[in-house]
Amino acid sequence: MAVATQLRTPEDLANLREQAATRRESKRMAIAICCGTGCRAQGSMDLVEEFRSRLEAEGLSDVEVRATGCHGFCERGPLVVIYPKEIFYCGVQDTDVADIVDKSIKGDELVESLLFRDPVSKNRFHLEHEVPFYAKQQRIVFRNNGKIDPVVISDYIAVDGYVALAKALTQMTPEAVIDEVEKSGLRGRGGGGFPTGRKWRICHGQPGDQKYIICNGDEGDPGAFMDRSIMEGDPHSVLEGMTIGAYAIGASRAYMYVRAEYPLAVANLEIALEQSRALGLLGEDIFGSGFSFDVEIVRGAGAFVCGEETGLISSIQGDIGSPRQRPPYPAESGLWDKPTNINNVETWANIPVIIDRGADWFASVGTEKSKGTKVFSLVGKVQNTGLVEVPMGTTLREIVYDIGGGILKKRKFKAVQTGGPSGGCIPEAMLDLPVDFEKLRDVGAMMGSGGLIVMDERTCMVDVAKYFLAFLVDESCGKCTPCREGLFQMHAILSRITEGRGREGDIELLQRLAAYVGESSLCQLGGTAPNPVLSTIRYFRDEYEAHIDHKRCPAGVCTSLVNFGIDSEACKGCGLCLKDCPTEAISGEKKAPHRIDETVCVQCGVCYEACPFDAITVE
Amino acid sequence: MARMGVFICWCGSNIAETVDCESVAQYASTLPGVVVGRSYKYMCSDPGQRLITDAIKEHNLSGVVVASCSPRMHEPTFRQAVATVGMNPYMLEMANIREHCSWVHTNRAEATEKAKDLVRVLVEKVKRNVPLADIEVPVTQRAMVIGAGIAGIQAALDVAAAGFEVALVERQPSIGGYMSMLDETFPTLDCSQCILTPRMVEIMQSKNITLHSFSEVEQVEGYVGNFEVSIRKKPRSVDMEKCTGCGDCWNNCMARNKIIAPSPVLPGEHTPPEVAEKVDAILATYTDPSGMVIGALQDVQREFNYLHPDALVYLSEKSEIPLARLYSVASFYNAFSLEPRGDNIIRTCLGTACHLRGGGRIADAISRELGIGDGETTKDMKFTLERVNCLGACALAPVVTVNNKYYGKMTIGKMMDVLEERAGQDAGQPQEQPQEATAV
Ligand SMILES: Cc1cc2nc3c(=O)[nH]c(=O)nc-3n(C[C@H](O)[C@H](O)[C@H](O)COP(=O)(O)O)c2cc1C
Ligand code: SF4
Ligand code: SF4
Ligand code: FES
Repeated sequence: MAVATQLRTPEDLANLREQAATRRESKRMAIAICCGTGCRAQGSMDLVEEFRSRLEAEGLSDVEVRATGCHGFCERGPLVVIYPKEIFYCGVQDTDVADIVDKSIKGDELVESLLFRDPVSKNRFHLEHEVPFYAKQQRIVFRNNGKIDPVVISDYIAVDGYVALAKALTQMTPEAVIDEVEKSGLRGRGGGGFPTGRKWRICHGQPGDQKYIICNGDEGDPGAFMDRSIMEGDPHSVLEGMTIGAYAIGASRAYMYVRAEYPLAVANLEIALEQSRALGLLGEDIFGSGFSFDVEIVRGAGAFVCGEETGLISSIQGDIGSPRQRPPYPAESGLWDKPTNINNVETWANIPVIIDRGADWFASVGTEKSKGTKVFSLVGKVQNTGLVEVPMGTTLREIVYDIGGGILKKRKFKAVQTGGPSGGCIPEAMLDLPVDFEKLRDVGAMMGSGGLIVMDERTCMVDVAKYFLAFLVDESCGKCTPCREGLFQMHAILSRITEGRGREGDIELLQRLAAYVGESSLCQLGGTAPNPVLSTIRYFRDEYEAHIDHKRCPAGVCTSLVNFGIDSEACKGCGLCLKDCPTEAISGEKKAPHRIDETVCVQCGVCYEACPFDAITVE
Repeated sequence: MARMGVFICWCGSNIAETVDCESVAQYASTLPGVVVGRSYKYMCSDPGQRLITDAIKEHNLSGVVVASCSPRMHEPTFRQAVATVGMNPYMLEMANIREHCSWVHTNRAEATEKAKDLVRVLVEKVKRNVPLADIEVPVTQRAMVIGAGIAGIQAALDVAAAGFEVALVERQPSIGGYMSMLDETFPTLDCSQCILTPRMVEIMQSKNITLHSFSEVEQVEGYVGNFEVSIRKKPRSVDMEKCTGCGDCWNNCMARNKIIAPSPVLPGEHTPPEVAEKVDAILATYTDPSGMVIGALQDVQREFNYLHPDALVYLSEKSEIPLARLYSVASFYNAFSLEPRGDNIIRTCLGTACHLRGGGRIADAISRELGIGDGETTKDMKFTLERVNCLGACALAPVVTVNNKYYGKMTIGKMMDVLEERAGQDAGQPQEQPQEATAV
């Protein structure tokens, strides 16, 4: 829909909202198809085409097909929700389209086979909010994802988009905006948890007329993808938040730093920028307030350390992304040595709601010191993987079991890892921990950006520690010796432990090196790098000892320490292992017990995962 | 005609548990030239040695093979023993069937076969041995240490302290090596100068050490104990007695400070016109050169499928950004490739979620199938493999992208199908598409 005129006043906005909402409501039904990266990978773009041509062929012009951002439940994609009833279909393929149109659009029936069926209780659910994955969530940041088409600005405006901006610019002073954000108790979602209002106030108080805003969309934490989904699925909420922030601190330019691997996010943000400029929501004299502001997108180039604020600034300036000494903090001297306020994507997306609905409302959600919600990327060995948004203070057990549906294949839970390479592993005994910034730090983990990775009995904790160190060795910028060399040595020690060459005293040596590296590194990459090692030693010391003293890997992961065999009693001769084995090490007739030729086996563990009867043995 | 004796030791149960010693002895007896083959519990014991010497006398043996432990352990024992009955000690050799066989194997049948092989080889060797005599040669009691970094300095000091003369050779004008460039040492963060400099002074003070700085070893001849080394002292044209080390001559030296400039190149002179054209087009989209490095490199990579060296040189000349800075940025970020990449770019995710769900196995399977490692390209330029840390679709782990198309919940079987399909395509056509841009 081409919008010709610029919005000069809040009334213009209200009129446009009115039009957009009427247009939306004039449709009898809307079919919302998730077109986030996960669902696209499973074919949702074909669905959009198929639905459109089908509806046209049937002459159903009163039904809208909406290609939306990520709904979160990627694991069951492609997802389709039919409004206004909110009928929820999952795993939809283009061959199902005709059926859906016949039964649920033209008729008033359900397509039973596409309803979500709980793998545990075997119940079927009809409506989105009843599905256990969604039932316990509270969606503030994700308020629009799944409801609007991210490349249609009128969709965003129809759901009260830019109302907060109009309010801030026409009814509030910059100080009042900062007061409101500070009162809401919002803390940075990029990992550190620094109070956002306080950060703004520091930058606001700096002298100088050129200030900058940066949105940190680098999302380097492996296993986390919530910032991506927000940028792809609701780009305007981030832009609106940034514009409000810029008004509050007095900045006229902003940069949005987007991770290299997220081209769809860049594309949707570019479209959003064009549309906002066309409506005068970016540019000169926004809403006649005299305030001018514009945003530029910068693509990252694949370096984890560029998520660190000083590294990111150096990267925007076109250099290698090595962090530098702080202070001076970016708020005093950042981009091109000017005062700069940097916040994470999710932090920015919270701002419009706070201004619109008020600090008190926002502060009523969450715990005493951590307000609002947090989006987690719930992944790993859990049934329902995807993005979940819960109030701060929700327990890990609720997230893993009620929302996540428990462990895959009914295996035993071992740990959850939060905070990515800076975080730690939390054992089963602490499942009732309410998740907020302080509680996680107390147990040796970290909120981080929100990766929540579930591990089961078949996860080796020494291997996990080694994995994170390998990641960090790779990503350390190399500026300081303790981080560069210390992590390298720690990784070498962990490697020898997992290869059966661990020595007595290795655990203590790791702890000692960890202390040096943590204390003497310049930036928080090195500063927090020991966490995965220390937390696994703290809670899973017995696994380290099994590797070192008994040369055993209890989880059957470390290939040098395991030998796979087949339990001939349990083996039903289904042949699944045989099919997957990359070296043809398995032989056997159908329905008769199979066997593994040890001389050919490369201990890859594929059969161990593939066997449905747990007949593969590990020693 | 050789007359050989072969003696197999059990070493208690050390060898006998894994190797059937008696059958090795019997096998040995059948080898050509072998007249006696025996096994015994401890060959190194007195009765064991007597077994050998008696056999030499009885059968008039010309050579002996003892199959037992490492020669490091008992070769002198057995050689002395055979000498007592008049055999030249060098006509005895040992087959190591303990460290090289019984201790490292578990399968008794296979280990026994291997022991037989080892014995047979040694029998053939001894048949070709000739009697040798021990001689004595004088050893020069002086040492040379090459390289005067911290390790060389310490070695020279230790040898000198033990009372021997040392010649210490250093290529650079000053000793100290890399350590003199460091501030602190890892992991204790000790002051590195405080460790190094006192030792540098000690080198000068030690009467046993002759320092040859600004010198290089040209040739090494001779053998252990009697080396001949030629050292080339580089010219310094300085009277060492009078020099105070002020450094003025160094700084003012006409020869050293002559500026050697490459012949001037004009932008684009050596650049193929089609490369220059593309880079010009990219440059035209940027106004501010200072902040453009990463973006421009991304554009170059998209245009050429990798960072083409000609394009980088041209970019540097036209934009006046030093080439070194371009390379420094290009090698810092993972997204840049300095090598040509294949038609199909496979990215396997090794992020945490994918690691836990077996992403590594898929990467390994691709490596095995295509014979390429991380960042490498197949010879036919069809495939490049990149292992990356999270593709941002973690809920579908393990994730692989081929030319930016996402494949979730990947298995080795599905991966192989994709490879097969892509391998059938015509070569020379880069397949990577920028990801579909819009949601509509
Ligand atoms: C090694 C390292 C990596 C980081 N990566 C990210 C990141 O990917 N995304 C992010 O928003 N913040 C990241 N941060 C945190 C940023 O430095 C910064 O604190 C944050 O963007 C501030 O925003 P907030 O106050 O809204 O959290 C990282 C920090 C470090 C030390
Ligand atoms: S701690 Fe590591 S990543 Fe951070 S600045 Fe130092 S070397 Fe670079
Ligand atoms: S571990 Fe891997 S190589 Fe060994 S038998 Fe199982 S599938 Fe085959
Ligand atoms: S961990 Fe593999 S896509 Fe994120």
